[in-house]
Amino acid sequence: MVEEKVLVTALQTEADKEAAFRELVSQYKERLYWQIRNMVLDHDDADDVLQNTFIKIFRNINSFKGESKLHTWMYRIAANESITFLNNKAKRNNTSIEAVKDNALRNLESDVYFEGDAIQLQFQKAIALLPERQRLIFTMKYFEDHTFEQLSQILDTSVGGLKSSYHIAVKKITQFIKTNNETL
Amino acid sequence: MKKNRNKTGFKIPDNYFADFEAQLYSKIDEINFPPRTGFKVPENYFERLDDSVFNKITASEKQHKVISLFPTKYLGYAAAFAACLVIGFSIFNTANEQETLDALQLATIDKYIDEGNLNFDLYDITTFIDDDNIINTNLEEQQFSEAVLKNYLLENVDEKTLIDEQ
Repeated sequence: MVEEKVLVTALQTEADKEAAFRELVSQYKERLYWQIRNMVLDHDDADDVLQNTFIKIFRNINSFKGESKLHTWMYRIAANESITFLNNKAKRNNTSIEAVKDNALRNLESDVYFEGDAIQLQFQKAIALLPERQRLIFTMKYFEDHTFEQLSQILDTSVGGLKSSYHIAVKKITQFIKTNNETL
Repeated sequence: MKKNRNKTGFKIPDNYFADFEAQLYSKIDEINFPPRTGFKVPENYFERLDDSVFNKITASEKQHKVISLFPTKYLGYAAAFAACLVIGFSIFNTANEQETLDALQLATIDKYIDEGNLNFDLYDITTFIDDDNIINTNLEEQQFSEAVLKNYLLENVDEKTLIDEQ
C-alpha cells in the first residue's frame, strides 16, 4: 500500500496522476462503496454515486491542500454525494426524501443483491427511518468500524456530539425493532 | 470523612461517568443487531470498477470536434435578418415590454428553481440575510405549541454538542 503523502504528491503531478489515481481507486473502492451503499441501499444507485465520488476526487485533487487526511477528505465527499443523490432523486421524482427511502426499502425485498433475512430487512428499515446525519453516523460506525475520532474529522463534528447521536440512533433502532416484534 | 491519602495521578475525560451508562446500555442494545447488512454486489463488480471510472473520466475530458450548423458564408445574411427582427420588435412592441418581461422572468425563475438548478451555497445566502426580522418577531404571538417545540428540539438539537462546544 502506497503511503498517503506519496500518493497525494503523485496525484498532483500531471505525469503520475493516472497511475496514482488507479492506485487510489483500488485502495478505497470497497470502503467507499459500502459507505455509500448503506445510505442509498440500491446497488445501481451506489455504483453511480461511487463513480461520481471518484470523478469528483480526480477533478478536485489539485485543490486538496492536505489540511485533512486524504482518506478523510474522500469519505467526506462520499458522504456528501450520497446525501445529495438522495435529495436529487427525491426532487426528480417530485417527492420527499422519506418517500425515496420507503421505495428503496420496498425494492430491497425483491432485490437480487440483497440476501438479508427478515431480521436484517427489519434492521435496514429501522436504520432508514433515522434522519440522514444520524444514519450516516450509525452506519459508518456500526458497519464500517470507524472510530468516533475518525468520524469527527470526516463529518466535522465533536466526538461528544457524535457519541450522543450514535446512542440516540441505537435507541431508536432498538425501539423500532421491539415495537415491530410485538406487532408481528 | 477519611481523606484519600494516595492519589493515582490518573485522570478521566470530562463527563466520563455521566456518559458511561448511556454508552453501556447502547452497547447492550447493539448485541441484538445483525452483524451484517445483507447487501451483496454483482460478481466481479470491484474488478471492473477501476476501468469504468477511468472510461467515464476520459470520455468526459475528450474534446469533441465541433461541426458548425451554419456554413460561415450565410452568417452575414443571418446577422442582417436578426438585426431586422430586433429593430422591428423594438419599434412595434415597446408598449408591453415591461409587463411581458416581468411575467417571463417570474415564470422562468420558477421553472429554474423547480428543476433544481438553484444551487446556492448556504454561506452565500446568509451574507444577504440581516437579522431585523428575527429581532422583530414576537415569538409569543406565533402559533408554536409547547409540544411542537419540544418535539422539534428533541429531534433536531443535539444537546451534547451544544454542551461540548460551549
